[in-house]
Amino acid sequence: MKPAPFRYERPTTLEEAVSLLAGDEEAKLIAGGQSLLPLLSLRLARPSVLVDLDGIDELTAINLDPAGSVVRFGAMVRHHISASQTHHPLVADAAGWIGHTAIRSRGTIGGSLAHADPAAELPAVALALDATMHVLGPRGARSVPASNFFVGTFQTALAADELLVDVDFPIPRRWGFAEVARKHGDFALVLVVAAELQDGWRLVAGGLGGTPIRLTAAEAALDAGVDPAEAGAAAQSAVDPVAHLHASSAYLAAMAGTLVTKALANVSVDTRNRDR
Amino acid sequence: MAHVAFVRSIVAHARITGIDTTEAEALPGVRRVFTADSPALMGLGLRAKSALPRYVETEQPALARGVVRFVGEAVAAVVADDRYLAEDGAELVVVDDEPLGVSIRAWDPPAAPLHHQAPDNVLVHRVFERGDPETILSQAHTVVRRSLITNRHAGNPLECRATVALWDDHDHLTLWSGTQIPHLVRNILAELLGVSESNVRVIAPDVGGGFGVKAVLYPEDLAICAMARTMVGTPLKWVEDRVEHLHAATHARDHRYDVTAGFAEDGELVALDVDAWCNVGAYSVSPWTAGIEPLMAGGLFTGPYRLDHYRCEVRGVATNTSPSGPYRGVARPATVFAMEAILDSGARALGMSGAEIRRRNLIRPTDIPYRMPTGLVDDSGHYLECLEQALDIIGYDALVAEQARRRAANDKPLGIGFAVYNELTGLGRAASAGPRMPFRTGHEACTVRVNPDGKLVVLSGVTSQGQGLETTLAQVVADAVGVGYDHVEVRYGDTNESLWGFGAFSSRQAVIAGGAASTAAVAVRDQILELAADLYEANRDDLRLSDGRIMVVGSPQPIGSLADLARVAYLESNRLPKGHSPGLEATRFYDPVLGAFAGGAQVAAVEVDTATGELTVLDWVCVEDSGRVINAQIVEGQVMGSLAQGLGGALYEHLVYDRDGNLVTGTLLDYLMPSGAETPEFRLGHLEHPADNPLGVRGVGEGGTLGPAAVLAGAVADAIGLEIDRLPITPSRLWVLLHEGNR
Ligand SMILES: Cc1cc2nc3c(=O)[nH]c(=O)nc-3n(C[C@H](O)[C@H](O)[C@H](O)COP(=O)(O)OP(=O)(O)OC[C@H]3O[C@@H](n4cnc5c(N)ncnc54)[C@H](O)[C@@H]3O)c2cc1C
Repeated sequence: MKPAPFRYERPTTLEEAVSLLAGDEEAKLIAGGQSLLPLLSLRLARPSVLVDLDGIDELTAINLDPAGSVVRFGAMVRHHISASQTHHPLVADAAGWIGHTAIRSRGTIGGSLAHADPAAELPAVALALDATMHVLGPRGARSVPASNFFVGTFQTALAADELLVDVDFPIPRRWGFAEVARKHGDFALVLVVAAELQDGWRLVAGGLGGTPIRLTAAEAALDAGVDPAEAGAAAQSAVDPVAHLHASSAYLAAMAGTLVTKALANVSVDTRNRDR
Repeated sequence: MAHVAFVRSIVAHARITGIDTTEAEALPGVRRVFTADSPALMGLGLRAKSALPRYVETEQPALARGVVRFVGEAVAAVVADDRYLAEDGAELVVVDDEPLGVSIRAWDPPAAPLHHQAPDNVLVHRVFERGDPETILSQAHTVVRRSLITNRHAGNPLECRATVALWDDHDHLTLWSGTQIPHLVRNILAELLGVSESNVRVIAPDVGGGFGVKAVLYPEDLAICAMARTMVGTPLKWVEDRVEHLHAATHARDHRYDVTAGFAEDGELVALDVDAWCNVGAYSVSPWTAGIEPLMAGGLFTGPYRLDHYRCEVRGVATNTSPSGPYRGVARPATVFAMEAILDSGARALGMSGAEIRRRNLIRPTDIPYRMPTGLVDDSGHYLECLEQALDIIGYDALVAEQARRRAANDKPLGIGFAVYNELTGLGRAASAGPRMPFRTGHEACTVRVNPDGKLVVLSGVTSQGQGLETTLAQVVADAVGVGYDHVEVRYGDTNESLWGFGAFSSRQAVIAGGAASTAAVAVRDQILELAADLYEANRDDLRLSDGRIMVVGSPQPIGSLADLARVAYLESNRLPKGHSPGLEATRFYDPVLGAFAGGAQVAAVEVDTATGELTVLDWVCVEDSGRVINAQIVEGQVMGSLAQGLGGALYEHLVYDRDGNLVTGTLLDYLMPSGAETPEFRLGHLEHPADNPLGVRGVGEGGTLGPAAVLAGAVADAIGLEIDRLPITPSRLWVLLHEGNR
C-alpha cells in the first residue's frame, strides 16, 4: 500500500495551479487528501504529478453576500471549519456528519464536491440548494449549477484540467438533515437533505445511486401540503436504489422514505435571517 | 536493510503456467525476485500435522507452487531498497494462469479439489458421539431445529504482522517477528530450514495486538527467512499492510450448524444432534491444523449445559479463501450462538422464559467434576451463579415488565438476550491432546532470578500483546517471593532469554505462565530463606521475606535484606554458609495437566428500531468467574475488550467473498470494525471461585467474545418474535426480516 512514484508541486496562486494542471495530462489536484491518498496507496490512482492546493490562501475564504442570502465557500475550506461556521447552518450541520475529527480536520469542501462520492453529505446539500460551482481552467472561468455538476459515481462536470475555485450555497428558509450510517463517522447508507427555497421544497437523497438525486415526487407532494409521513411514503415509492454490500434496494428505499419524514419533522428555521 | 513486497494472487484458484519476473528484476532498486522455483524456496512449505484418523495432511508452500488457492496468496516476493520500490517491482511481475473451479462455502458441493490428497476438500472430519441421541430425539416431548450460519472475521489488530529476518552466516538466524508463539516458531523454522535450533533466535518485542492471528506460522515468515538466507548480513523486512491482513492473515468463524434438539416437557435438554461445517480456507494452518475450529466446535458445543445424548459431526472443509486459524474465542462465539439459539427456540416452543430454560439445564456445582458428552471434564459449575448475578444486576424482572409495557403501548420493541458459556482455559497436556498435534501445549517454563543487587528478573516463555502480562507476572512473583512489585522486572518474547514457552493463546497466560512464575518464585523464596537461615543462624521456619527484608516471626526488626543475601550469593562466596552454592535462581515448568474452565453469563436489553433496523443496547451485564483475580483492572480490561470484539463480530465484521473468490471487503471501508461509538457501556460482575492451580486462576482473555452474538440474536428474536439465523445482524437484514419475514 505505497503509492506509485509521483512528483509534487505546491503552487501559491490559482494561475500557477491551473497551468501546472494543464501542463500534464496525468496531473492531479490534491486538497485534504482524505479521499485521494487511499486511492494513491491502493494504486487505483497513479498521477504523474500532484498539485497541492494547500498553498493557495485565497481558497480558504468564506463570505456571506451583502444580501445575506448566499454563502461563498472557497474550495479549501476544511470540513471542521464548515462545521463550525455560522453563516450557513445547513452546511454546518451536514459537514458535522462527515467522518471523524481527523478527517474533518483535513478534508475540504472542494475535495468533497469534486470527488463526488454518491453517499457524501456536501454534494447532496449542494444539489438541494442549487449551489453554483465556480470553476477555473485553461479555457477560463465558468460556473456550473449543482444540477449539472454531479454526473455519475465519482464523476463531475469538471474537466481533468479544471479546478473548483469556490461554491455559492444559497441559504434556505427552513431545512432539515437526516442520515443513517452503519457506524459513527461512516459514509451514509442513505442521507436526506430537506430545504425550503424561494420556489418551494427541495428534497435530495444521497446513497441511492451514482449521484445525489432529487426526490421530485415527494417535493411535489410536500408543496401540495402533505405531512412529513406522506412525503416520506412518496419518496420511498419513487426511488429505485442500487443495492450493495451493506444494504438491499428495498432497505435503501425505505430509508429514503424514513429519512425524508425525519428530516422534515426536524426542520430548523434560520432565525438570524427571519425578516428576509 | 532490504524490504519485501509480496506479489499476491488476484485469482482464487488457478494453475500457474508461468511467472515472468524479468521486468521487475530490471527495475532500479530491486535486488532480487523470488518465486517457488527459486533455489532458496524450492520444496519449502509448512505442513500442519495431526495424528487424528480423519485428518488429511496437506502442504502450504512458502510461495504458491504450481497452483494458487486464494486471492491474496503470495505468489512471488520482491526484495528492494525500500518498500515503495519493492511494490513498484511487484507490479511488474506477470503471472500467467489457467483458472480452476472456485469454492467459497464449506457446505456447497466442491467446485474442484484444492489439494489432491482431499478430493472432497474435507481436511478434517470427526464425529463426537455419546448416548443415543437418535432414539431420544424420536421420543422427545418437543423437538426444535435451527440452521445457523456465522460470519467470517479477521483478527485485525491495530498493528499488522511484521517480520525482520537476518542471517549472520549461513547457519545463524535472528528473526524479529510479530508473533505470539516465538518458541514454536523457532522450533518449526529450525526444522524446515535445516539449522540447529540453538542457532535460531526469535525475538517478539512489543508486537501490538494479536487476538490469535499472530499465533500462526505463516508462509510469508518462512519465505522471508529462506530469502534472507541468500542475502547473509542483510536484514529483510516486511510489514503487512491492512489490505494484506484482510486478504491473507488467518480468518475465522465461517461456519454452519444444523442443530436438532429434543426437550422434555419441563425444559430439560435431552438430546442434541449437530451437523457442522467449518470453512477452513485454502490451507491447514500451521501449526494448529485445519482442525482448530471444527474440533473446538464439536468438542465444546454443549458448553455449560448438562447433556447425555449428543452427536456432533464436524467437517473442516477447504475452500478458496484465506486459511482459517485461531481467533479470540476459537469457534466458541459461533457455537455459543448456536447453542443459545436452540435453547431459545426450545424455550419458545415450551412457553418458558429464556432465564428458566437455562436454569433448568446448567451444570451445577454439585455435578462437578462433570464429564461433558465429549469427555472433557468441567471443574467449574458456577454458571447458574453467574447467570443469577447477571439477572440481578440488570434488573431482569423490571426489564420483563418494561417489555410488556412496551408491547401493550406499541412502543419500540425491547428484547432480552442471554448467553451462558464455559471456556476451557489454560489447557494442560491432557486437555491439549485433542487435536493430536506432534506437540502438547500444556506447559510453560519460567525463570525467576535474583540479581546481585537484590532485584528480580522474571524470564517468561509466554508473550504479551497488551494483556498487561508484565504487570500480572510481576505481581505474582513479588507476592510469592516477598519483594516490592517495583523490584521485579518481567521479560518475555526472546527465545534466547527464556527457556521454553508455547506463547499466548487459549487464555493460558495467567493459568500456565502464572503457575510457572509462581512455582519458580516460591522456589527462589525458599532458596533465599534457607540461605538467610544459615547465614543469620535463625530457624528457617521462623523466617519470612517481606518487602525485600528478612523478618523473624514476631519481631518487628528485619535481620537482613534480600540485597545483602544476593551480594553474598553472587559476590562473597567466602560468606556462603556450608552447603550453599552461589546464585539465587530457579527455573520451573508448570503444566496444569487438565485446565481450568472459566464461566460466564451475559444478559442484555436491546431496543429495535423497526423503521431503520438499527439496534440500541439499553443495558448489558457480563458476569464471569475468573477464579482468583490477580489484577482487577486487567481482568476487567480483558472482559471489556473481548465483549467489544464479540459485538463487532455480531453486528459489523464480515469478510465477504464473491462467487469468484474475490474478497469484496478488502479494506476497512467495507470491513467494519466497531469503534468506541459502537460499544455500549458494559457492566461487569465477578465471581472468584478459585481453580485448582497454584494461583487459583481461570483464563479470562477470551470469554467475553463468546456471548455477544448469542445475546444480540436472542434479544432481537425476543423483541420482534423472528429468529436470527445468520450473522452479522445488520440493519438492512433486520429490516428485510421485519418487513418480508423469514425467507
Ligand atoms: C475514514 C474516512 C471517513 C470519511 N467519511 C466521510 C463521510 O462520512 N462523508 C463524506 O462526505 N466524506 C467522508 N470522507 C471523505 C472526506 O470527506 C474527504 O475529505 C473528501 O471526500 C475529499 O476531500 P479532500 O479535501 O480530502 O480531497 P482529496 O482527497 O485531496 O481529493 C479528492 C478528489 O478531489 C479532487 N479535488 C480536490 N480538490 C479539488 C478542487 N478544488 N478542484 C478540483 N478537483 C479537486 C482531487 O483531485 C481528487 O480527485 C471520509 C474519508 C475517510 C478517510
